[in-house]
Amino acid sequence: MMSLRRTAAMVRKEMLHISRDPRHLFLVTLSPAFLLFLLSYIFSFEVHQLNLAVLDLDRSPLSRRYLASLTADRELRLTHAVDRYEAIFPLLVDGQADGALIIPPGFAEAVQRGQPAQVQAVVDGTDPFAASQALAALSSRSGMFVAGTAGQPVGSKPIEVRSQVWYNAGLESLLSMVPGLLAIVLVMPTLALALALTREKESGTLEGLMVTPISGPEYIAGKLLAYLGTGLISTILASLAAVLWFRVPFRGSFPLYLLLAGIYFLACMGVTVLIGSFVRSQQTAMFAVLLIFIVPSFFLAGLINPVSAESLPSLLSSYALPSTHFVQISRVLFLKGLGLAAVARPALILAGMGLGALAISLCLFRKKVA
Amino acid sequence: MLVRIGTLIVKELTQFRRDWLLALFILLAPALQLLLLAQAIERGIHEQPLAVLDLDRSRLSRQLVLSLDNTRELRLRFYAGSMDQVRSLLDGGQVRLAVVIPAGFARSPQPIQVIADGTNTVAAAITLSAVSGVVNRLASDLAAGYGLVVPELIDFRTDLRFNPTMNFRDFSIPAQLGFITYQVTLAVASLGLARERELGTLEQLMVTPLRRIELALGKGIPAMAVGALNFAVMWLISLALFRVPMHGSPLLLAALTLLFITAEVHWGLLISAISRTQQQAILFVFIQAMVDIALSGFIVQVRNMPPLLQALSRFVPLQHYLVMIRSIMLKGAGWEELRPQAAALAALSLAAALLALRTVARRVE
Repeated sequence: MMSLRRTAAMVRKEMLHISRDPRHLFLVTLSPAFLLFLLSYIFSFEVHQLNLAVLDLDRSPLSRRYLASLTADRELRLTHAVDRYEAIFPLLVDGQADGALIIPPGFAEAVQRGQPAQVQAVVDGTDPFAASQALAALSSRSGMFVAGTAGQPVGSKPIEVRSQVWYNAGLESLLSMVPGLLAIVLVMPTLALALALTREKESGTLEGLMVTPISGPEYIAGKLLAYLGTGLISTILASLAAVLWFRVPFRGSFPLYLLLAGIYFLACMGVTVLIGSFVRSQQTAMFAVLLIFIVPSFFLAGLINPVSAESLPSLLSSYALPSTHFVQISRVLFLKGLGLAAVARPALILAGMGLGALAISLCLFRKKVA
Repeated sequence: MLVRIGTLIVKELTQFRRDWLLALFILLAPALQLLLLAQAIERGIHEQPLAVLDLDRSRLSRQLVLSLDNTRELRLRFYAGSMDQVRSLLDGGQVRLAVVIPAGFARSPQPIQVIADGTNTVAAAITLSAVSGVVNRLASDLAAGYGLVVPELIDFRTDLRFNPTMNFRDFSIPAQLGFITYQVTLAVASLGLARERELGTLEQLMVTPLRRIELALGKGIPAMAVGALNFAVMWLISLALFRVPMHGSPLLLAALTLLFITAEVHWGLLISAISRTQQQAILFVFIQAMVDIALSGFIVQVRNMPPLLQALSRFVPLQHYLVMIRSIMLKGAGWEELRPQAAALAALSLAAALLALRTVARRVE
């Protein structure tokens, strides 16, 4: 039978551990907010500037005007002027330039006679995102230059597109990244739990606990409740940082957010308890949390690239990751401001994950003690 | 001296053998991780779900919808019946983009309304530009049909170097390779001394004839071996399985990788020497791993960062290494081009080694 009193004693013991060591206290309370600060600054990239090398063989007023028109919206920067074709390659190899533009001799003459003038662009394709951005920018700025020079009305296209962005009207990446990153930084309380579970084994204090009347479920429940509690405190602190410092609007209900964060912790910590029943050293526990929760989250959770539905293995690996579901929940509650109905599915998946993993690990724990 | 270092290395390896789960995580997990991540970030942002509210139902509007569905970026998933349905599809996250074609669109020029879901700004920007590309092409087809020909005054030729098919995998796998090697090496190196100290066995080691340079070498060499082994396995996987090109010299890559691993081992030993307990070392490694993912140019290119962070990223060995591995594998760069990065890496490595030795000395005496 589970006794409430013994579980509470376990929670108190764990709280004592946490509050005694200032570094541990930092890990479970402030570290998510701290990491959020750090990561948000790096991941909020608005304008990608592209550096171009220029080989102007025409050297006419027109070619100079053309080059100047390219940099009008500051997306493209002309950083290197070269005088030979061979000088382009080294700049591309060591990444000083993302591309190069070559204007042939006779460029101005051809344009004035109304003939097509050839311009060659060499683009570094290593980073496909940057390359397609560079190509799009070059061709659209060139198109505008042609329209301006030839006296063609730019608005000769008969179709107008009015685009609007919902939930994040200015398309600010900070507003999208901060709620998403919360899912990653809130893995820190789970790390603390993983370390706490294995430290008892490593330092031999688990055996001491086993001879007390505390049962397996009470032991796990005590640890879980302690770190769930501090996890919720760290959620409040990190959300405050998001709203007050980064000015991300919080449009949903905050108590609901805390409840869902609790379910997220349940999923992460449940899986951790399950892994923890096999792991004996803190070193292995760290590897497990790093490789299972943290690193894949940056790439698979839909934080930057949306979850890819193209192939089944990638879809499955994304859905098996608790952070995928919390990235979604976090963005819905912060930006869309919807209620429980909109996030019922990810919430149920997380709850199922957590309870399932806990059930299995309780079975395992009982066997080991007996 | 060699014998003493040798025995210490044997002792370290015995530890791995006893904790089989740790050995599994160190030797197998990195390769698995590479397989998983390379599968997942295969292609970039494609086939985003789209909803269309077609109030015109003309031939032209159907043509527009069809060409939207034909782009790589968008897939038509829903024909919405009303604005309310559009809203609920966007709210529920079932579509990322909605296009509303107004009634009378085919007869007279009417603006099309495009609504993007801004919760993921990267996807929003890409889908929006896909729509405007489709609409521009449709417009110029129409103009050509009316006999309005816009003269092509600039004949734009492009030449994509190094990665002509713009394969996203080729771009990301070398970086994954560098990153996973980094992670394993740092984690193994940083816990070595901290574990001995926490369990009280460091003092036992101190009373043996082992000198501190020997202690550092004996702890460092197994970590280097683990890193190098992982790198070799993952490198072969990327060439054989994912067909990542290898344009440069494998020997140069091996030499520079060894330099990188050495730098990370030195840094790990420094962390290990500073920390009192394993938990402290772990906290250190964790925060550092996140900062390094962010600063290394792995996800965000260094030059898109604010100037202060750009300056900080120069102190991250991983940042220099990622430039080198990408340049060697994809661009075929040689020693000449990579000298500045190699020099920076060597300097960082040396600095960490000196600091680590000094700290060990202070802690022990």
